[in-house]
Amino acid sequence: MTLLGRLTWQAIPFHEPLPLFSGLGVLITVVAILAWVVAKGYVPYLWREWITSVDHKRIGVMYCILASVMLLRGFIDAIMMRTQQVMAYDAPGFLPPSHFDQVFSAHGTIMIFFVAMPFVIGLMNLVVPLQLGVRDVAFPTLNSVSFWLTAAGALLVNLSLVIGEFDRMGWLPYPPLSELRYSPGVGVDYYCWSLQISGVGTLMTGINFVTTILKLRAPGMHYTRMPMFCWTALASNLLIVAAFPVLTATLAMLLLDRYVGFHFFTDTAGGNSMMFMNLIWAWGHPEVYILALPAFGIYSEVVSTFSCKPLFGYRSMIYATMAICIISFMVWLHHFFTMGAGADVNSIFGIASMIIAVPTGVKIFNWLFTMYGGYVRFRTPMLWSIGFIVTFAIGGLTGVLLAVPPADFQLHNSLFLVAHFHNVIIGAVIFGAFAGYTYWFPKAFGFVLDERLGKWAFWLWLIGFWVAWGPGYVLGLEGMTRRLQHYDVAEWHPWLVVAEGGVVIILLGIIAQIAQIVVSVRTREQRRDVTGDPWDGRNLEWATASPPPAFNFAVLPDVTDQEPYWDMKARAREIGQLTRPEPRYEPIHMPRNSPTGFVTAFLAVVTGFALIWHIWWLVLLGLAGAYATFVVFAWRDHDEELIPAEEVARIDRANRAARSAALQHRQLRRETQRESAE
Amino acid sequence: MSSNREDFDEFDLGSHVGEEHVAGEAPPGARHPTLGSELRSYIIGLALAAALTAASFWSLDEHVIYGPGIVMALIVFGLAQVGVHLVFFLHLTTSPDNTNNALALAFGVLIVSLVFFGSIWVMSHMNQNMMPARALLEMRGG
Repeated sequence: MTLLGRLTWQAIPFHEPLPLFSGLGVLITVVAILAWVVAKGYVPYLWREWITSVDHKRIGVMYCILASVMLLRGFIDAIMMRTQQVMAYDAPGFLPPSHFDQVFSAHGTIMIFFVAMPFVIGLMNLVVPLQLGVRDVAFPTLNSVSFWLTAAGALLVNLSLVIGEFDRMGWLPYPPLSELRYSPGVGVDYYCWSLQISGVGTLMTGINFVTTILKLRAPGMHYTRMPMFCWTALASNLLIVAAFPVLTATLAMLLLDRYVGFHFFTDTAGGNSMMFMNLIWAWGHPEVYILALPAFGIYSEVVSTFSCKPLFGYRSMIYATMAICIISFMVWLHHFFTMGAGADVNSIFGIASMIIAVPTGVKIFNWLFTMYGGYVRFRTPMLWSIGFIVTFAIGGLTGVLLAVPPADFQLHNSLFLVAHFHNVIIGAVIFGAFAGYTYWFPKAFGFVLDERLGKWAFWLWLIGFWVAWGPGYVLGLEGMTRRLQHYDVAEWHPWLVVAEGGVVIILLGIIAQIAQIVVSVRTREQRRDVTGDPWDGRNLEWATASPPPAFNFAVLPDVTDQEPYWDMKARAREIGQLTRPEPRYEPIHMPRNSPTGFVTAFLAVVTGFALIWHIWWLVLLGLAGAYATFVVFAWRDHDEELIPAEEVARIDRANRAARSAALQHRQLRRETQRESAE
Repeated sequence: MSSNREDFDEFDLGSHVGEEHVAGEAPPGARHPTLGSELRSYIIGLALAAALTAASFWSLDEHVIYGPGIVMALIVFGLAQVGVHLVFFLHLTTSPDNTNNALALAFGVLIVSLVFFGSIWVMSHMNQNMMPARALLEMRGG
């Protein structure tokens, strides 16, 4: 046993130029950014206002930034795979098999765990407390720990690029291939430990948000007055609490197999490798809805706001959401119909998979009927929503097709399947994340994103998606299986060239999104959201300033309607002044910032890295450090800060004045219009 | 009635969740527990839990219960133990402010049963239909 365990210089890929130089490039970029931050003297500001922040809005923004950076990484993987498959017709291509396998595994892992999850959780963080009309989540410091643990997992995955290797058997490491005998390297360990660490963070987020939504709501906000996004967030977090322990337990069993010679999944010694498939999908299918439900909530908010109408069928939407929440736990076998559980089992799970399409269909009709007869404004978030409805309906149909076991036996593991899940995950989750990002960006930062570039990004993404994944369906029907490093079927080649073209179009879409941020930041003074309500919104997040003060609401709003802010606005417009007279301002206690999350996550990275490389002394050191951090946090004397009443008054008066002015302006305009009409 | 509101009070996060009753006020009909009544409930719980534990060991004696019924008896004692813990130690009641806890328990039981019994059902069907992996490996000469 050596001091550094399995870690030697051989872990650094000196003989493979591609990972070495891409790794070096990333390293140089990160060092350059850090150097720039230090040189500009931003470190104290970042530490005080962001890294140690327990403010749900800041944490939400950091989640979204993490997701966006990881989206770029995952997208680079996608370009590499598509390019390899264009080049590898009767040729070796530019990626050797071992590298290609790591690329598709990393792509899937990153896109699900470190893009889709953090984006969705980030938007929930930003919006749910505001929509509920409260000041923060139930456990603010825990929230910070959750975020930093997710970031720790992402860091470990990316570390595998330079030190060692990543898992080579896809985004779910199926045994027996993932067992020690067939995968002796560190790839599977990188996968397992990064997901165990980020999984703890996700589970704590789930607990935090379930508690927040059930226990912290503005006075008068009954369950049937909660905005649809809060309902879907509740369902999603219930699923997190129920499903993530299954993932943790399954990966723990695989780790026990690999580290201490257990035989949960080794067929030769009394284990059962199919049990891994069964358990991982018992988590994996709910996971699909953990991602999709909040996206459905975003569409509900956006469609209703930009159709200038209340959401059609609010109660049926709640029933549909909760039905999906339960049924999502009854369909997991459709991911492995071909395992051989027989016709009885397959037909029951097939029928359940078709049934879950019913509440989803209810939702689609509700969005359509919300638009029907409404005054639809085609702003960027609305475009993403309409693009979603069309794309997702098709993706859902191919899903129902795959739910038919005999059809699935033909299409299992083909590109048809891959096209289907990209169709629903990009079409629902990623489009939803972008709709929510554009919709709530002014709330988070106080200025509206550039509309023209936003529309460019939308059309490039939509067209790019269909050009990239339309051919996938054809290829699947032509018999092409997934994850092929090279092939010799001439008919496939043209379709793969078309798919590569689609990826290029999506790349242009991403460039448009980056340009949108740059242009919007530069011209932010012209695009300020002064009133805090840029879209004529309907829920409480628009009742406070943009960006909201740390305490969100000077006085908690009184909810008397299903659309609380629309109700307030309607009454204010009737009487021509704000509904509430200026309240008596009181000092507000807010939780104090804490470095606990950051320190814990740093120690989690150390522990995870040490576990991967079998550096046992460092494991003990990391765990002891994390426990010490917890002890220091638990024994803190000073855990909250007081925002004085004068400060609260100053901030709230400014917002009241802006809203009053907007109201007067509107009345004035109405009167002029009426006079000119007469 | 110790409502959860008090736990959040120090942060003043705005925890005025109350469907009908005003925050801070106990729901109508709720009794305020005294030290004596709480102590009594814990002692009853402890006694029941200990009795159930003792009963499981006692039932193992083959002369007491019909032999093949022992497993069933142990399951019953185990479930009763869960119930005792929930009622006396985790304070699950039927009062209105406990609806969330009851629903959370119901949801948890539902999901655990789905995954647990579902897995057993799926895997037993697979074992019936497919050659066991070990036999397959041996047949291949592995």
